[in-house]
Amino acid sequence: MFRFLALTLGLGLVMLTGCNKSGPDSAAAPAGGAPAGKRLTVALMPKSKGNAYFVSCKQGAEQAAKDLGVELIFDGPVNPDPAKQNEIIENWITLGVDVIAAACENKDGISTALKKARDKGIKVVTYDSDANPDARDFFVNQATPEDIGNALMDEAARLCGNEGEFAIITASLTAQNMIEWQKFIEARRVAKYPGMKMVALRPCDDLKDKAQSEATTLLSAYPNLKLLMNICSPAVPGAAEAVKQAGKAGKVKVIGLGLPNENRRYVKDGATDTVILWKTVDLGYLTVQSAVALAKGELKAGATSFHSGKLGDFKIAGDNILLGEPFKFTKDNIDQFDF
Amino acid sequence: MSFRFPKSAVLRHEAILLLVLVLEVVFFRVAGRNFGTVDNVANIVRHSVEIGLLALVMMPVILTGGIDLSVGSLLGLCAVLFGKLWRDAGLPWEVAALTTLGLGALAGGFNAALITGLRLPPLIVTLGTYSLFRGLAEAITHGTDAFTRFPETFLFLGTGRIAGVPTQAWIFVVLAIAVWLLVHRTTFGRSWRAIGFSPEGARYAGLSVGRRLTFAYVLAGLMAGLAAITYTARFGTAKADAGTGYELAAITAVVLGGTSIFGGVGSVHGTLLGVAAIAVLSNGLSRLPATMSNAAELSGLLTGVLLIVALAGGALPGWIAARRGRRNATPSVPATSGV
Amino acid sequence: MKRHFRELSVTGALLLLLLSLAIFAPNFFEPQPLLSRLTAAAPKLVVACGIALVILCRQIDISVGSLFAVCSVSAGLLAAAKLPLPVAVIASVTLGAVGGALNGALVAGVGLPSIVVTLATMVTWREGLRLTQQGVFVNLPDGVQWFGLPMAAGQGIVCGLALAVLLALAYALRFLSVGRFVYAVGSDAEAARLAGIRPRLVTFGVFVLLGALTGLAAVMNLVQSPQVDPGTGRMLELEAIAAVVVGGVAVSGGRGNVWGVLAGFLLLACITPALTYLDVKPYWDKAIQGAVILLAIVADGVRRRKLNR
Repeated sequence: MFRFLALTLGLGLVMLTGCNKSGPDSAAAPAGGAPAGKRLTVALMPKSKGNAYFVSCKQGAEQAAKDLGVELIFDGPVNPDPAKQNEIIENWITLGVDVIAAACENKDGISTALKKARDKGIKVVTYDSDANPDARDFFVNQATPEDIGNALMDEAARLCGNEGEFAIITASLTAQNMIEWQKFIEARRVAKYPGMKMVALRPCDDLKDKAQSEATTLLSAYPNLKLLMNICSPAVPGAAEAVKQAGKAGKVKVIGLGLPNENRRYVKDGATDTVILWKTVDLGYLTVQSAVALAKGELKAGATSFHSGKLGDFKIAGDNILLGEPFKFTKDNIDQFDF
Repeated sequence: MSFRFPKSAVLRHEAILLLVLVLEVVFFRVAGRNFGTVDNVANIVRHSVEIGLLALVMMPVILTGGIDLSVGSLLGLCAVLFGKLWRDAGLPWEVAALTTLGLGALAGGFNAALITGLRLPPLIVTLGTYSLFRGLAEAITHGTDAFTRFPETFLFLGTGRIAGVPTQAWIFVVLAIAVWLLVHRTTFGRSWRAIGFSPEGARYAGLSVGRRLTFAYVLAGLMAGLAAITYTARFGTAKADAGTGYELAAITAVVLGGTSIFGGVGSVHGTLLGVAAIAVLSNGLSRLPATMSNAAELSGLLTGVLLIVALAGGALPGWIAARRGRRNATPSVPATSGV
Repeated sequence: MKRHFRELSVTGALLLLLLSLAIFAPNFFEPQPLLSRLTAAAPKLVVACGIALVILCRQIDISVGSLFAVCSVSAGLLAAAKLPLPVAVIASVTLGAVGGALNGALVAGVGLPSIVVTLATMVTWREGLRLTQQGVFVNLPDGVQWFGLPMAAGQGIVCGLALAVLLALAYALRFLSVGRFVYAVGSDAEAARLAGIRPRLVTFGVFVLLGALTGLAAVMNLVQSPQVDPGTGRMLELEAIAAVVVGGVAVSGGRGNVWGVLAGFLLLACITPALTYLDVKPYWDKAIQGAVILLAIVADGVRRRKLNR
């Protein structure tokens, strides 16, 4: 037993004495530009791994990394554990990446880690969902929570003729970004569409099958329901299938945030009316382009526009690089997109 | 005779595990980027504290032949209660933290009451409280409320350093020593072992089995409360989803550390090695150029493989002996007895 | 009455729930959503029955959810590659059986504890699938949904399959010698061995059967929509285990039957939709689920304590 403890202690000592206080390649690239000859490293974080939305962002990101000749790391939590995002970012700080681009699951939580990265001279951009403004240099803004909330609520009201009952299917009650969207959906409803009534909110655990069951139940529990609003991507096809099986396609509208490939079938046969999203591949591309420009010092605070390779110029408002308005995929245009 | 054999088997298991850990460290130091820096070692330690604390108390529970699936959910519940006490009840954070520890112990007592009072299987009881505790956390916050903006003095617990070592690591070291002494040097530890070895035998030997078991589960609850505090201090935000999946991570570490799931056999230092082996693996994978973009998935996958290999390696000598025709006194198929 | 107290009390609780729904939310019994819900639940019931066998044998398996996802995606990819549906079905069942055999070999052959083995295979399958599929949905060609038949017929087949599995297992456990072997091994493996039963073989067989049933369930789920979500099956193991224990199967092995499992399964499967019908806020879902599980086992515990006095 004691021999064993001694061995453990010995190992601990070896590990500690072996620690190089700051290795030759451990310091992050100083602000103002990477040393010539060294490839820049961009670390891109999705909210979770194994999520088709972020996989399509990654497609664009990889393209940009190839165009610019930088190294790209793509990693994030596999489980809905926001603290794991902080852990990975702190690992990236000691790994010595040059710039971090993060999609933030929990705004306040992740900001501590991102600030730490900035203190070490690492450039930080956020994409998809923002951190606190003082925790990053730029936000690649495909749509603020307010834009998303407004777009969803406006579309819902338009389809329902400004009055009627609707229900929301979300991923989980605790998903921070969806909580924020709901807040803006509700604010918009109160301000502009008092005739609309939100009757129920159900979580689907980010699973299509569960969303289908929840939608089936909602349709029968609330017979006057006119619309299902799905704010997590697996829920859109799930709800559409449920509406179809209930024989209520066209009578109960389905809208939501999702990818064209997952929804093409339902949009074309009319079960789903509108899918709202942005060009995710472009989002990934623009994020990496701006991250690299930032690290090289080509993109500075106060800039009013940014030229992103093959995609052309983007407007910058304050510290938000604007990808453009959320896009509406409908029967007429969905075939032009493949992601 | 029957006591001596498992003890030596444990030592052998731990020696193998130590070797695995050393190999991991050497390998990642050579092949990984900036693995051995002081900052990274501090990171590894900081991020393993919650799982480590839960594993420390999961170990005695498993030693008694039981299991506690509720600790991750209880972490979430305690985090939320702590936030409530501090923000809504206006208690100073020190008082709120102490109260939270008490509430955690109380929840552990609830598990214990059902397990010992009604002689119900721990697996089922804690499967129920796994849902119940998480459900209460969601019910209290409606899933949406998040507690944040904690005072700096509190956050120091999770983000600061004392003498270069992360604050929570000091807490962890003290508790690891305390639990080690408790399990290996007191009658409590010996009686847990005896209960795990044979509950009936322990009862006939005059041990108050109920009280000893209760202590193990109360300790687990208490430690889940403490883990909730360090989690909140590290992450800066307390929400109902805190600690999702941590119970399985803790169990994995304990079992990898050589504690038998049937009870009666195991050591605290083995558990610590198990925690370290998994933490180093997951950190190291994010530092290899080949795996840094798949680190999250691979660390899960390789932990699974490591678990099987470690256990199969331990079982192999017995298996070969049995093949050669030497009859073993142990039943041919292990069952989940006790669990 | 005494012997089947648990099954009857769970059935009673289920009837009580249904009765209160009949009064407060008669919509619950509308035929279309009811049939849809039953069809959606059928694959889970098949998995729960398989888990019940494993628990009867005094083992456990928490890898079924991950295996379910692997089978679903594999069958989906085969169907998407325009292979005939029977090929995908056979592949899914076979793959499930192989996954189960791996668990079974490690448990019965090498002698490792089942909870640890299946904990390891659970993460291995899940993360392996995440690495290869990355969460991208598999779009199935036309003619796969409902086996290419009208919806009602497809629903009939899915529910019929679940019923067939249930009846076959009920019959086998009650009247066939292999079924009795399962109880014997679960009650006392050593005694079973001395009685001439081969506990290792029985245990191995039970794991293989669970795997095959998981593969079958994956297909039964696959045909209910034209897409496969690779995240499918998450938490399935916990739902199934909860249904099994609420249904009165003892985790100490050797006690319980599939009818209890059916009652426990239906009770738990009804609660979540019932809460929607009764307009209970969603943040109570998990707490109520947990409370029901605890109530069921506490009731049983209290009763046994009284009997023992």
